[in-house]
Amino acid sequence: MTIGIIDIGVGNIGSVVNAVYNQGWDSISITKPEDLGSVSHLIIPGVGSFSFIMKRLRELNLDASICDFASQGSPILGICLGMQILGDAGSEGFHSLGLGLISGEVNLINRTAGLPLPHVGWNDVAEVNNHPLLDGVKPGVDFYFVNSYCFSATNRENVILETEYGECFPAMIAKKNVVGMQFHPEKSQRNGLRLLDNFCLWDGAC
Amino acid sequence: MLKRRIIPIQLLSGDRLIKTRVFESPRDVGNPLMSSKIYSDNDADELLILQVERYDGAFENLHSKVIQIGRECFAPLTVGGAITNSEHAIRLFSAGADKVVLNSICFTDPTVILNIANVAGSQAVVVAIDVKFEKGKYVLYSGGGGVSKSVSLERHIDTVVDSGAGEILIQSIDHDGLMEGYDLDLLAFVCNACSIPVIIAGGAGNFLHLKDAFDVGADAVACGSLFNFGDNSPLRAKAFLKNHGVSLKNI
Amino acid sequence: MIKCVKCGLPETFETIEFGPDGVCNVCVQHNFKKDVIDWSSRKLMLDKVIEENRGKYEYDCIVPFSGGKDSTFTLYYLMKEYNLKPLVVQFNHGFMRPQLLKNNERTFKELGVDVHSFTPNWNLVKRVMLEALIRKGDFCWHCHTGIFAYPMHVAIKYNTPLVLWGEPSTEYTAYYDYRDNEIEVVDESRFNKIVNLGITAEDMRGMIEDDLNKYDARDFAAFTYPPTRDLKKLRYQSLCLGSFIPWDTKMQSKLIMDELGWEGDEVEGMPPKMYDYEKIECSMQGVRDYIKFLKRGYSRVTQMTVLDIRNGRMSKDEAEKLIERYEGKKPQSLNLFLEYVGISEEEFNQIVAKTVVVPHKQDFKIDEWNPKTHDYEQWYSKKS
Repeated sequence: MTIGIIDIGVGNIGSVVNAVYNQGWDSISITKPEDLGSVSHLIIPGVGSFSFIMKRLRELNLDASICDFASQGSPILGICLGMQILGDAGSEGFHSLGLGLISGEVNLINRTAGLPLPHVGWNDVAEVNNHPLLDGVKPGVDFYFVNSYCFSATNRENVILETEYGECFPAMIAKKNVVGMQFHPEKSQRNGLRLLDNFCLWDGAC
Repeated sequence: MLKRRIIPIQLLSGDRLIKTRVFESPRDVGNPLMSSKIYSDNDADELLILQVERYDGAFENLHSKVIQIGRECFAPLTVGGAITNSEHAIRLFSAGADKVVLNSICFTDPTVILNIANVAGSQAVVVAIDVKFEKGKYVLYSGGGGVSKSVSLERHIDTVVDSGAGEILIQSIDHDGLMEGYDLDLLAFVCNACSIPVIIAGGAGNFLHLKDAFDVGADAVACGSLFNFGDNSPLRAKAFLKNHGVSLKNI
Repeated sequence: MIKCVKCGLPETFETIEFGPDGVCNVCVQHNFKKDVIDWSSRKLMLDKVIEENRGKYEYDCIVPFSGGKDSTFTLYYLMKEYNLKPLVVQFNHGFMRPQLLKNNERTFKELGVDVHSFTPNWNLVKRVMLEALIRKGDFCWHCHTGIFAYPMHVAIKYNTPLVLWGEPSTEYTAYYDYRDNEIEVVDESRFNKIVNLGITAEDMRGMIEDDLNKYDARDFAAFTYPPTRDLKKLRYQSLCLGSFIPWDTKMQSKLIMDELGWEGDEVEGMPPKMYDYEKIECSMQGVRDYIKFLKRGYSRVTQMTVLDIRNGRMSKDEAEKLIERYEGKKPQSLNLFLEYVGISEEEFNQIVAKTVVVPHKQDFKIDEWNPKTHDYEQWYSKKS
């Protein structure tokens, strides 16, 4: 098992790399489409903005390669912004199209509750649908979030976990071999590391 | 619902950690990497590492420790001390830090706050303010308690918030290390003066002090002596505080 | 002070959390242990682990051994049930009582096992006992760390991946939870979480260094948890027997008494003849229990009666009477402890006063002493 981690020079992916290594897995950086040929799993960390990261992926032709990787049935995990770009489109920065792997749109978290943005800190999640990656993770635990934008899934069956801040939004989404986590598993200690471990062991089936 | 946080403070001095009393008389309290691992294994909500001294290699020392710690601790990492420009901050983010703490530079050049916030977001910038209570009012100090500033606490809070600070870390020098409780009046003042999250530091000696701070409105409590001197750990603090109704993370 | 409505444990007990009905989490997870865990499938897991290791390495397993009822039962069970070739590893904390030594000799000779024993440098032990007392109100740092770290070094040295401990921590505390239905792993994370008081050997080394005394890493080797990478290379498995069979200390103590001639002993501060199988291995146990009482407002009598209450063997009223009568007096061993670390009783009180756990309050005005145990005069003292 070799885990590919997208590295396109945007933001810090070191924590994800360290977490995967710490759990005993080998990983390589994915900077161009050819790199995907040697990995069994793909993690898309995300820092920055939706439009900027999609622009970079397109420049490097990685957007199409990621979609091919997905269609082969290989497991993909998007973290934070990496989860958001799995959707159809996002409004952060300027409106842009996402990878379209899990149907949904990304917009600013609803501010009517008067809560400050971004949503930062430990928040609890509720299970909406079961998923093999949740094995060994107790219900109702907290994960570490840092996000101003949130995903709105077209199909409720794609929502695995959800959290609440101003509104209810997905904390984890999934469709076939593609999974997204809005929180940072690499910063969420035991449960986050368990999820990463489960992902690295997963064959993409559910 | 967002949970409150308990944050162990680790003061970095060379290759060791120290703990002070009213910012003086440092005592060795351990090895930074080992200590961070322990806090992480004890489910600390966040790790706060502050480089204490200012000398030529101080920043590099902090940077190298952050790299080591980031390899083995998987909790949010907040680091500071010796940060004077956004370049420092970017290097620390690359090393694994999630947030940086700025103190002295905020008096001389608050635009640094804005520059870092633009790159990494406001939530990644914590502004630390050290105060002493003198002649009936709060006097701000920079340089690790060495240089008093004439700007008022209220004014300085406004300045840093306007410049894009994401959180305030307010520390009472008078209460530091005495383990007699936080300066709750100071905490109340700061909570009223701004709407961004407030972390209180200086004086925690037992779990009831933490409860008092949460009751006044602290979003997070930072503790040094509490965990270094006393049969306490973040896990035990959590169990105690949960029995007293404080909402903390569950893992 | 909040207390569990069922067993009576107070909120100063580490990790205790009370549910809305006032029952504590340790009680709740005990019910789970009794009623929900599938112990027959757990036993099958142990059978598998044993067979995976049998005959392949220098020893079939490491059995860390103190000589108390739990480790004696663990060794006995593994020998009788599986007929293994274990390496018994003893860490000598410096306070082993005569009856314990007798019990151990009988056990080792009856069962026929190889034994590896280690005694750390007494001067270093005295120094760290004082430092741990000051920083944490718990002088047993060298013992906690030595007992859990040293056998791991031996496992690596003897190329023996399987390390089998006795009872899981879930029997007494809620750092881990029976309700997770997971096998507790005795690893570095657990060491940092519940064993080393938040101080590693590397931390301690710097803390006690001063102008006269320099220490190097070798001085602390026995207290240092070996790198997890080295353990992983060995494909180590560090598990508790009590994760695979339901732990029952009363039944187990009786078994080793009958089968091995294991004998109990009187312990300072305990009701006579009631719990003489518990904590008999250490001459400093009385001081340990006394400090706990000063810090937290409860001690060993409470802890033992709590177990009886939970198992339906005693009522809360009976427990309260015993606690009232026996708990909270000064142990004679305190005099020895003060001699070892070189402080007066007043200094001792000042140090412990700083570590009292809220909301308990302690006035340090206790003036009743427990009687000397029968072997008190044999405990080490420079003066004797």
